Amino acid sequence: MAKVTRVCLIDDDHIFVYGAKRLMREINFAEELSVFQNGQGAMDYFESNSQHTEHLPSIIFLDLNMPVMNGWEFLDAFLNIPGISSREISIYIMSSSVDPRDLERIQAHPYIKNYILKPLTSEDLEGLLKERAQ
Amino acid sequence: MEAITNKFTIRQSPFSVAVLDSNGNILNYSNRFAEAIDEQKDLTGQNYFTIVPHVPHAFKKINKDNFGEELTITEVSRFIPLDGKPQWFEWKLSQWTGNEGQYGGIMIYFDEVTESHRDKELIARAMDVARIGGWEVDLVNNTIYWSKVTKEIHEVPQDYVPDLEKGINFYKEGEDRDMITALVSEAIANGTPWDTELRIITLKGNEVWVHAKGEAELVNGKCVRLLGTFQDIDDRKRMELKNHVVSERLAIATQAANIGIWDLDLVKNKLIWSDEMYAIYGLDKSDFSGTNEAFEAALHPEDRIMVQEEGARLAMEGALEFDTEFRVIWPNGQVRIIRSMGHIERDEDGNTLKMVGANWDVTESRDAEKRLKDLLSITTEQNESLMNFAHIVSHNLRSHSSNLSMLTTFLDTENEKGERERLMKMLLEASESLDETVGHLTEVVQVKAEASDKIKNINLFNVLTAVKKNLSLMLEEEGAVCKIDVDKNINIKAIPAYLDSIFLNLFTNSLKYKSTDRKLELKIKARNLGNKVLVCFQDNGQGIDLERHGNKIFGMYKTFHKHKDAKGIGLFITKNQIEAMQGKIEVESAVNEGTTFHLTFKKP
Repeated sequence: MAKVTRVCLIDDDHIFVYGAKRLMREINFAEELSVFQNGQGAMDYFESNSQHTEHLPSIIFLDLNMPVMNGWEFLDAFLNIPGISSREISIYIMSSSVDPRDLERIQAHPYIKNYILKPLTSEDLEGLLKERAQ
Repeated sequence: MEAITNKFTIRQSPFSVAVLDSNGNILNYSNRFAEAIDEQKDLTGQNYFTIVPHVPHAFKKINKDNFGEELTITEVSRFIPLDGKPQWFEWKLSQWTGNEGQYGGIMIYFDEVTESHRDKELIARAMDVARIGGWEVDLVNNTIYWSKVTKEIHEVPQDYVPDLEKGINFYKEGEDRDMITALVSEAIANGTPWDTELRIITLKGNEVWVHAKGEAELVNGKCVRLLGTFQDIDDRKRMELKNHVVSERLAIATQAANIGIWDLDLVKNKLIWSDEMYAIYGLDKSDFSGTNEAFEAALHPEDRIMVQEEGARLAMEGALEFDTEFRVIWPNGQVRIIRSMGHIERDEDGNTLKMVGANWDVTESRDAEKRLKDLLSITTEQNESLMNFAHIVSHNLRSHSSNLSMLTTFLDTENEKGERERLMKMLLEASESLDETVGHLTEVVQVKAEASDKIKNINLFNVLTAVKKNLSLMLEEEGAVCKIDVDKNINIKAIPAYLDSIFLNLFTNSLKYKSTDRKLELKIKARNLGNKVLVCFQDNGQGIDLERHGNKIFGMYKTFHKHKDAKGIGLFITKNQIEAMQGKIEVESAVNEGTTFHLTFKKP
């Protein structure tokens, strides 16, 4: 299975980050994984690297509930980076939220590829890779 | 000689008179007679009935045999000459006796009475139309006269012969008859006239309202004659009575409902108020001058311009109806909300002439509406907050439980000792987090469920100083300055534990989010406002970008700072605690300048 070159994980829960990292390593999901504690940290990175295609991830896993800049705020800011929407970046929401307002918003959002309800499993990641191969 | 003198005097008579012999030939006549029939030549010897063709027919048959006892006969005749204009004449005929006492002939006098007759006829016609009848009682001869209309009103035949008792008995038995009896007796005794409206029962049994007027003629203090008029006012009276019933009903209704009626004549600037209006405006009748200015003076100053503008707008639109609300201030300072509805009368150019309307007090219903709206918004807010609460609970519990399940799965297969230790450490952390979350949730649920009967009267200053003392070590460490500028007499209604927790939370928030550039300064002030106490809690810390976070600052698990202790639960609980005590909390902040919380508590 073709693994993903660069993956970005934005989540403030370090236990979850540990688990996600471990799962990805186990199934050899990505060549490179960058982790940000919240939306703001990720934004700082993307803003300075938006012109360097080689530094941009092809998948972003995004949590919704985070301090400083939450997932929705990050999405708004991220899509405002000039030229970013033309890049082939798949955004997956990864959250514990079952709030229908969040789910509706996820469905209606044009740039969100899918929603993964925590806990994350290796099946979720494998399914995602299969999907990308097709 | 005598005859000549006689002849001479008749000639001079100012009346149109002629003396005839027994055959009807003229013996002598006055100059006025010649003028009246427009003849210049001598008329002596001419036949009277030939030259005066319009003489009453009956006169032609008069002779010595049928003259009878009467000395004078009076007749009125109508004559239509060739020009077609009817003329009325009054005739008088009397016989004259010769020197030997024999029947000599007749004298005829006539006078044109067209004008006075026309007046009489008009009066009769008018009385007929107005259904006014006349009547007269001669108390000396005990005779009674009823005119044609009087008889018609009583529905009796024209040949009916009334008497005083019969006349009175036509009045409806009971108060009507008692009244007329008393009035007539009074008139006979003292000459007092009467003018009244009573019911009669006609001969045919119909009840009719009449306007009866009468007066007495007294001679030497004794009543000899009663006379008066009698008018059929049945239609008008019944209408009036009906109207009276309706307006009485309306009066009862407006009085019971406290609806005031007013009438403003803008031309004369005259404002008329019904009694209820004074109660609505809290004014005494004597304190109200009855002008538009007096009305405007009673208005709430903030609404006065609105009312004037509304008036101008109605005038511009040419509106004929209005429906508005405004506040008035009673002399005792009470503010009431008044609804005003009515109608506008305008002239052809659209200028307002008159306004008539109704006012009523809607203060209670507006207050009730407001309470209902407030209640609804609180309920909606609570509902929403419960909903949020449910989602937050589920989110937080899920995130910890999913971490736990993930970690246990790893542990299951992990053999490396170091990694296992790491997992165990994380497992402990996750279960502690879960425990903490459950603790928070319990706290929140308790706030929501806690009954308000634990509310006590608490001295604000004492609470603030106690909390400050608890935190004195931390405040000293930071070198913070804290000024509590609160009147020692201010008491508030609060649940003691909540109050401690609220201020503790505000103090620790200020400590947590202090500016790194300056020493922390806290200022706490309080003041009374009506039945509330406002508390102002100000710091000079980092501040919050309210434009970005304003709507979520009091939300659960919302943190805005990268602070290790930021849990996002404090303000959520604070808000819930304050609301459980029927208070309010609001925030004002500027980034890098500081944050001020405005708290509202109920006064004991």
